[in-house]
Amino acid sequence: MISVSDLSIQIHDKPIIDHVEFTIPRSQITSLIGESGSGKSLTVSAMLGLLPANAKVSGEVLYDGRNLLSESDQVMERIRKKDIFTIFQDAANSFSPSVKMGSQLYAFSGGRVGDAKDVYHMKMHVILESLGLSLGIVEQYPFELSGGMLQRCMIACAFYVEPALLIADEPTSALDMVLQKEFIELVTSLNKERGTTILLITHDLDIVAEAAHTMAVMQRGQVVETGTVEAVFAQPVHAYTKRLLASRF
Amino acid sequence: MTAKWVGKRMAMGIVVLLIVSFLSFFIMQAAPGDPAAAFYGGNAQTLTTAEKERITHAFALDQPVAYRYVAWLRETVKGNFGTSYKEGRPVSTILMERLPNTLLLFCATMFFIIAGSIWLGTVAGMKEGSIWDRGLSIFSIATSSIPAFWLGILFIYFFSVSVGILPSSGSSDVSGHGGLLDTIRHLIMPASVLILTHVGIYARFLQEGIKKENRQYYVKVARANGVKEAIIRKGIMRNAAIPYLNYIAITIPSFFGGSIIVESLFGWSGLGQLTVKAVVTKDFPLLMGSVMITGVIVVISLFILDLIMYAMDPKLRKGGVR
Repeated sequence: MISVSDLSIQIHDKPIIDHVEFTIPRSQITSLIGESGSGKSLTVSAMLGLLPANAKVSGEVLYDGRNLLSESDQVMERIRKKDIFTIFQDAANSFSPSVKMGSQLYAFSGGRVGDAKDVYHMKMHVILESLGLSLGIVEQYPFELSGGMLQRCMIACAFYVEPALLIADEPTSALDMVLQKEFIELVTSLNKERGTTILLITHDLDIVAEAAHTMAVMQRGQVVETGTVEAVFAQPVHAYTKRLLASRF
Repeated sequence: MTAKWVGKRMAMGIVVLLIVSFLSFFIMQAAPGDPAAAFYGGNAQTLTTAEKERITHAFALDQPVAYRYVAWLRETVKGNFGTSYKEGRPVSTILMERLPNTLLLFCATMFFIIAGSIWLGTVAGMKEGSIWDRGLSIFSIATSSIPAFWLGILFIYFFSVSVGILPSSGSSDVSGHGGLLDTIRHLIMPASVLILTHVGIYARFLQEGIKKENRQYYVKVARANGVKEAIIRKGIMRNAAIPYLNYIAITIPSFFGGSIIVESLFGWSGLGQLTVKAVVTKDFPLLMGSVMITGVIVVISLFILDLIMYAMDPKLRKGGVR
């Protein structure tokens, strides 16, 4: 579905991402794994067309045959709106602090797909209830909800939008163990039930083992190893991957 | 919660006015000079000791300062600001004559400063790195560095002396029957000086607020998820408006201080000019009256701004008084 090839990014003429290559097969969960600062999030920013103004980028990010790196801002805005949903690490800061959750949930879901308010209310209420969220949250502000609840609100929007591609950038880092497990279950159910292609960015190998089908390992701005999760876990080739796997046990 | 909040804010306003009155009263009493000089001007030298004592007694200046403060406060609460030493008329009458002009200058300048700074700050802040962004940074430094009195003198020289299209002084023509258009003609220069020396710095504050807000995490999340740009901008403006309003609230007292100079320079017949006159002539009742009425205007302005912030900031509403 997405093929990243020869992707390099420089910021202030300093190379940050160096000839990165990996693919995200359709209807699969692909994990991009690596330590903090290895360039995972910047790679995602490039895929979304949201690189900072001072970044120089080269290479290709092919999505259904189009190179996303050469598309205009307007086209990228349309692609993000139509096909991609991104859940970020810091759920507590993912919503505007001075706007009620109801308006924000609508902007992230019904408003984005062009649903009328009544259609949105019916559909969103079912999703919120299925995720164990009280309907009263729509009248609350983000600072009145916990990080776990806010992350579930984001997932509720992802469920609503049913994107072709869901990108989850370190989505469980700010959650406790119970909520992490719950989150992974929800994401995998989205993949199983609706065939959503998922890019899961994490530094947690347990999550990769539990949820992902394929994986790409990043170190210092380079992809050092790719393959199916079973193959990489069974027979890691690169020294960094071996060290990562060894540290897991 | 709302009634409690409003009650607390009003109580705080009254405490502020009490502190202002206390400080002003005691500082003025500590200043050199006596009412006889204010009464008789240059002829005060010729007064006998007995006459001076009589005047001192008549104004109760032979009483302790604390006693006089309490007496003044008791009368002021009833709306009686006393009698002007210099003019011999009730202070409240003099204040009411000047108040409309001050309010006109204050409201007109604040309106254009706020409207102008919102427009400039938004355009510059939303287009980070653009010519608007860089231009406003330079403009704000340049205009806020110019002393108001110097700009005022330049304006008078250019618009009144050289071109001769605007009156150099006063708040209405000599006859006093010039009407609204005449008042506006007199208002243009003092208002323009105040607007020009303040709009840049207020706009800069909003510009930086918007730029900071534009880099916030929630904006990145919203953009990544295809939320409409108009909705994102509305959210940015809402969040950037709260510190901007706070900044206006903090700077209103010093803005008023600056307007005294401009009023005096342009002979604008307002409270600022009156305050300066009262200081020069040691007219204590008039000075206290004009300080207090200015204090009331500032407190009311801050209360209105607090109400707007209260409506805009849910954290303030949910958490009570910040």
